[in-house]
Amino acid sequence: MRQRSLVGYAFISPWLVGFLVFTAIPFVASIYLSFTRYDVVSSPVWVGLANYRKLATEDPLFWKALGITFKYALVAVPVGIGAGVCLALLLNLDVRGISVYRTVFYLPSIVPVVATSVVFVWILNPQIGLVNGLLRNLGVVGPAWLQDTKWAFWSLVFMSLWAVGGSMIIYLAGLKDIPTTLYEAAYIDGANAWQRTRHVTLPMLTPVIFFNLIMGVIGAFQYFTQAYIMTQGGPDDSTHFYALYLFNRAWRYLDMGYASAMAWILFVIVMTLTLVIFRTHKRWVHYGN
Amino acid sequence: MLRKGSREPMSRRALAALWGSVLLAVVGVVIVFALPGPPPRTYPDRIPVRFWHMWTAEWKEVVERIVDRFNESQDIYEVIPLSVPGTAADSKFLLSVAGGDPPDVMAQWNPVIPKWAESGLLIPLNSLMTDTEWADFQETAYPAVKKIGMYKGNLYGVTTGLNIWACYARLDHLREEGLDPAAFPQTLEGLIAWGDRLHRFNERNELTRIGFLLTWFAQYAPAFGGGFYDWDTGEVLLDTPENLHALTYMVNERKRLGFEKVIRFQSGLATGIGNVEWPFIGGAYSITVDGQWRVEQIARYAPDLEYVTAPIPPPEGGKRHAGWTNGNFMIIPIGAKQVQGAWAFVKFWSGLEQPERAAEFYTWGGWLPLNERIAEAPFYRAYVEEHPQFQTFLDVLPSEAIQPTPPVPYQVYLWDRIIQADDSAMRGTLTPEGALDRLAREVGREVAARKEFGYAE
Repeated sequence: MRQRSLVGYAFISPWLVGFLVFTAIPFVASIYLSFTRYDVVSSPVWVGLANYRKLATEDPLFWKALGITFKYALVAVPVGIGAGVCLALLLNLDVRGISVYRTVFYLPSIVPVVATSVVFVWILNPQIGLVNGLLRNLGVVGPAWLQDTKWAFWSLVFMSLWAVGGSMIIYLAGLKDIPTTLYEAAYIDGANAWQRTRHVTLPMLTPVIFFNLIMGVIGAFQYFTQAYIMTQGGPDDSTHFYALYLFNRAWRYLDMGYASAMAWILFVIVMTLTLVIFRTHKRWVHYGN
Repeated sequence: MLRKGSREPMSRRALAALWGSVLLAVVGVVIVFALPGPPPRTYPDRIPVRFWHMWTAEWKEVVERIVDRFNESQDIYEVIPLSVPGTAADSKFLLSVAGGDPPDVMAQWNPVIPKWAESGLLIPLNSLMTDTEWADFQETAYPAVKKIGMYKGNLYGVTTGLNIWACYARLDHLREEGLDPAAFPQTLEGLIAWGDRLHRFNERNELTRIGFLLTWFAQYAPAFGGGFYDWDTGEVLLDTPENLHALTYMVNERKRLGFEKVIRFQSGLATGIGNVEWPFIGGAYSITVDGQWRVEQIARYAPDLEYVTAPIPPPEGGKRHAGWTNGNFMIIPIGAKQVQGAWAFVKFWSGLEQPERAAEFYTWGGWLPLNERIAEAPFYRAYVEEHPQFQTFLDVLPSEAIQPTPPVPYQVYLWDRIIQADDSAMRGTLTPEGALDRLAREVGREVAARKEFGYAE
């Protein structure tokens, strides 16, 4: 048995070594670095709580970035869940060619996010973009989207729906898992389609919604690539997400200690939110037993 | 077939999956080995000098030609160039230094010298010069060259191509309005008046062509007597009356044209400063402000375009030949294994050694030289005669009023926040006073925090 375990560990050793070297050790080291001034090349210098104090009291951009990220999590995650569930319900219908539709809606989620971001920069171009071109045909002057302080954030929320196919496929799997007997019982009891959805489908789907909620919140607080490629935090800091500011602090301003402190604050926030969601899940997640 | 340790025969499906996996692995290995590796060295007996740069496409070819010339001229060193993606170049460089394996020499254009010098990452290049060479450099290099490359009295970057901005005006557009290019405006007010005549709008009152647009606060602030640094005292200047005057002037002009209109118009245009897809060539601008390398690009990609260049005129009572500058410069990191080879390459390219020879390299990229010796070299003069519009930039080049970004260790942060203040004011989301006030507060906080953390500045 012991020998079999060793063989098993030997097989997963490439991953184990990678995890230790590239994740676990940097993770632990970043706790120490968050109490230092560190620019990658010089030795870290201990500064105590100065990084945390500066973040809390002297850095408005930190609070602004945090606010934008919270707002994104509050808006984009529920919208994504709603869209994903609705799409899954539609794609669960027994209609001709449904597998083609499922494929079509799933495909965008496997397009690399960098490619998607570059394409959306052009789609949302106010002058020559697809969206404003369509709006123009309807006689509507579209906003300047990514170039407009009021619209840039919402443009990114809108764009997040593009990849909703990824969660949709999980909801679809969840829908397939709901016992048909429940629908039959509801039908016999006289429940109409809406009532069956409201009282059978959605409650039985809550474990999947719960999973996607947790992953969505974590993903929202790590939101980076799209903002980095499409807006660089602008216009006027309106899309200066937390992870983007963290990256800039680390790699543009070589403030690794400060960035490590930001990373730990982010970690605590995400952990707290995850725990809160976990604590509430007994009230609204149904496991069908 | 039986599985080892099992009495069950392996199913056909499992067998197919097994063979499929083996086949896939074999194909993967074949592909990996079939991919071309790095090209073999041309001079394997020489000492290798590893050179990183960030140029791509047409620019990369120019750089490689210069490297070839250097290698042909040598019998000791071989420079091996590597194009590093611009977005990751700085982090890659830092990690290479931290890891003890940096390149021997790197071409940069990002504002990195003060921070990297402060962190002890760079070799002071004056330490590689003789006293005579150092004195000669200080005497002959253009003011902007020294401002860009020096930090706290030491030289950390030797410029191999300075960038100066000036006006480009399309003659076809000027003719439409009966404007005489020989009488190009000598004041900013005059240029704006020309621009007003050259703007074009469609039936929906949207801009279809910009005559002239005041844009980029950092470029114009020096002409108003402003700027962000006192080069004598080393003080960072932000919310000064001169800067406020410049920004207010620019915002008022933008307001007149319409914040939203300009944003919409510009959003449809390519913006990369090195891009060949330049809106001026396409006719989106009648008069625009851009760098000297456009002269070479026009000659190469739009040889039939008729245009003139002129220095950016100052406002009434403002400073002539004033503006912002940056440039390409060569740095040698601490930990470089072939410092002497790297230094030989820097001198070769920059023209610190044999300026007449280096003059040719500057013309390949349409770059401005680091001193007058190169500018006056026969090859360079021949290039200017062939491209007479280039002379404008050479006229501006010796000006003391041309200023790069302040050489402070928090230069990147400072630059980001200056751009942010510019953006907020030019969009109309903050007043010029509000934008500069916020800028001063942000930078003040940053400096205070740095001092608390034990940095000198």
